Amino acid sequence: MSKPEQELKQSPPCTNSLSNYLWNDPPDENKWADCVHCGMCLESCPTYEQTGQEQHSPRGRVYLIKSVAEGKLSVNEQFMDPVFACLDCRACTTACPADVDVGGLIEEARGQVRQAMPLTGWQGAVSKLFLRGIFPHDSRLNSLGGLLKFYQKSGMQTLVRRTKLIQVMPKHLVEMEAIMPEVKKPIKKKYKSENVIKAKGETKREVAMLTGCVMDVMFSDINESTINVLTKNGSAVVIPKNQTCCGALHVHAGDREMGRKLAKQNIEAFEDSEKIIVNAAGCGCMMKEYEELFREEPEWKERAEKFSEKVEDISKFLHDTGYEKPKAEINKRITYHDACHLAHGQGVRQEPRDILLDIPGVEMVHMPNADRCCGSAGIYNITNPEMAGAVLESKMENVPADVEMISMGNPGCMLQMAIGVEKYGRNQQIVHTVQLLDWAYQKEESAKEGQ
Amino acid sequence: MARKKLRTKDQHIIRLASMVDGLGSILYEKADLLSYDCDGFTIHTALPKAVVFPENTEEVANIVKYCHEQGLPFLARGAGTGLSGGAIPLNQEVIISMVKMKKLLSVDLENRRAVVEPGFVNLKLTNSISDKGYYYAPDPSSQYCCTIGGNVAENAGGAHCLKYGVTTNHILGLEVVLPNGEIVEIGSNGVPDEPGYDLLGLLTGSEGTLGIVTKITVRILKNPEDKQTVLAYFDKIEDGSQAVSDIVSAGIVPAALEMMDKTAIEGVEAAAFPVGHPKDIEALLLIEVDGIAAGIGEQIEQILDVCRSRNVREVRAAKDEQERAAWWANRKTGFGAMGAISPDYLVQDGVIPRSKLPEVLQKIKKISDDSGLRIANIFHAGDGNLHPLVLFDARIPGETDKAMEAGSACLKVCADVGGTITGEHGVGIEKREEMRFVFKDEEIMAQTDIREVFNPDNLLNAGKLFPTPGRCAEVKKEMKEAAIS
Repeated sequence: MSKPEQELKQSPPCTNSLSNYLWNDPPDENKWADCVHCGMCLESCPTYEQTGQEQHSPRGRVYLIKSVAEGKLSVNEQFMDPVFACLDCRACTTACPADVDVGGLIEEARGQVRQAMPLTGWQGAVSKLFLRGIFPHDSRLNSLGGLLKFYQKSGMQTLVRRTKLIQVMPKHLVEMEAIMPEVKKPIKKKYKSENVIKAKGETKREVAMLTGCVMDVMFSDINESTINVLTKNGSAVVIPKNQTCCGALHVHAGDREMGRKLAKQNIEAFEDSEKIIVNAAGCGCMMKEYEELFREEPEWKERAEKFSEKVEDISKFLHDTGYEKPKAEINKRITYHDACHLAHGQGVRQEPRDILLDIPGVEMVHMPNADRCCGSAGIYNITNPEMAGAVLESKMENVPADVEMISMGNPGCMLQMAIGVEKYGRNQQIVHTVQLLDWAYQKEESAKEGQ
Repeated sequence: MARKKLRTKDQHIIRLASMVDGLGSILYEKADLLSYDCDGFTIHTALPKAVVFPENTEEVANIVKYCHEQGLPFLARGAGTGLSGGAIPLNQEVIISMVKMKKLLSVDLENRRAVVEPGFVNLKLTNSISDKGYYYAPDPSSQYCCTIGGNVAENAGGAHCLKYGVTTNHILGLEVVLPNGEIVEIGSNGVPDEPGYDLLGLLTGSEGTLGIVTKITVRILKNPEDKQTVLAYFDKIEDGSQAVSDIVSAGIVPAALEMMDKTAIEGVEAAAFPVGHPKDIEALLLIEVDGIAAGIGEQIEQILDVCRSRNVREVRAAKDEQERAAWWANRKTGFGAMGAISPDYLVQDGVIPRSKLPEVLQKIKKISDDSGLRIANIFHAGDGNLHPLVLFDARIPGETDKAMEAGSACLKVCADVGGTITGEHGVGIEKREEMRFVFKDEEIMAQTDIREVFNPDNLLNAGKLFPTPGRCAEVKKEMKEAAIS
């Protein structure tokens, strides 16, 4: 990062335009043409709330992105700062009267920044290791999962915590280590030999499922719940073998090239599926936006559009196709947190709440500003711990004091909210909406068996 | 994000940085300043020298004192949503951003007043007291994000100002940092109508040229017992305008009486909060009445009758709060919505006698035809406050100038029928020259004389509100001064 800009530019093509975007796939002019600078987005933006500075507001960022294209600014560290400080939470898109696609512009701008100034040093190494080295590779993800499992089960976790060895890690990573869920067997491995997981009872349809990268390692029980809930309601489930990480983390980080590679693999892997069920808001949102990655490859753009139409969040799918209302009670006071990429990204707000309300015994408690970002934002909480911490703090202030569970639809949020609960001495259990439904079904089953 | 050390040798920056809380509270590098080169008025841009973010009155006073001593131009900025360019740093000003002073200091329900810091967002006040049955009446369309300090500077209005009055009618007291750094309190304790000159009235709407407001005591109101909203579609714009006059003549005082024309409807329907308005109507009216529950139904009936007698195509009352909210969201995001049908827009802010509505709309249409630029109209019809939105594309050479000319021509029309050039957006940079449509040189000079009492060096927000110097008024003044000496 500290290298002079000139040194890092890899002889971009010559152009006559004023624009300082020198690489392919630059931010799309039509996206900022919609912005009239009215400022309606300001209060929706968590980073503006924290800083009060307009370069850290949606309209400020759009203005800077436009300024680079107009040649008023170059792609340098000062430009990078506001562009990478964005949480990509899309709250501004909801607030914007003109539907400006701020998130899309930010991702495109990040693509340019990363080509102008590739990450170097520690940050570069870590980012490369995870984004290119691990997430896209099943076997390596599994090994990482295995390693984590070993860490947890062998007593090493206890040892590290007790000996204060943990104190050599940065504070935000310590907080993360503390809430790491117990690693279980990935779904992809478990159902390796089954081509189709049969529906319980009559088969009404067949759906494909994205198992996700982090989801399947850290939260395979949520994947399991998703399968249970789908099969319970007449869907046979296929887990296409060749699927991979959705690429959201890569695109958020400006690695659009890798994003495209992963997108292509998924488009191919799910070619024969009619419906693609996703239980991670971030993945669902990314997969619905694959076409944005192929603005310069018309053929793939068309395939991406077709693919995106098939992508559906589990809660929306259950809502639209109907599901059996559970009969067993879960007597809990629950509040719901809107994952940004579900509420702002996909417009899914009421469906998960309806599912929770359909579970007997559940008492829903309203969370003020439920659709405010929690600060997880992909790997933002690792790269921008200070801002993520401040955003999390204001989120936790809104969590009602007396609820027992916080339900949501995204693994990143679940980890972040778990950190919040731990850090601020709260005692809520963090759950995925689909888990609750599954537990209610299971309770019902075991009651039947008991009889 | 906050840098570890200052990357400048500029002594002024170094001194200013020492007056605020750390390096996260000052901006001075070009990329950071760029977002401050304009506000909601984007046609004119200029970079500030620096932006500072004080957190209390003392810090503001220190900064102002320093600027005053050093002869540095400076100005105050809130959320930067102003539509006339009042916060644009024409003279490389040090921008004093008030957004970190955003506390609600106290609420006194018994005496119906609240004290806020200037960076407190308008809508947050209502949100903070609504559970107790109170609200803050002035509701500019940008109320989701504009600050009350900015509202005071511009004497902001809003849809519901027809019945309740604009910002100035709701200000009970101000703490102000004068351009020399002195802190004064006007209307202390929030007692209305203090004896002596009405300085609150003078400061409210002075567009940041007389002082910087650091604390504001506002009036809060009890929520009306009931309210009801009506939406009416008209095939002819004349019928819609006539209905507006008829409603007011009938003795009804609606809380709000809003109108949108065909182009405006096209914009809001293409944007983020569509309602499903028909595309082929020439005008729609959004009418709200509020007050004690007993009389509301009768007023609504009267309004429906008036609309029917003016050939309304369709008219009905909102069936529930959700529908009412949807209609208002559609209306209140109207300006920003223009982004969906045009890359740029220029919003004008003329005021006319209600009876002249049909005539003025005709003339605006002619301006649109002559200039070849589309003009959408969204306005507070009840108080004759027009907002012609001139749609243009700044990327096309010459089109920005053409838009400004068309905007100016709209204001000329308003002034010529006995109206004026601004209702609630302020003069700022945008309408400086148009001040001549309504004031003679002597009248303008009388006003700059008042400014000189507060702001003798003209370091605070210079170049706003009045026509640029060098024209007749200033020349005459110089001649006068020369004659005296």
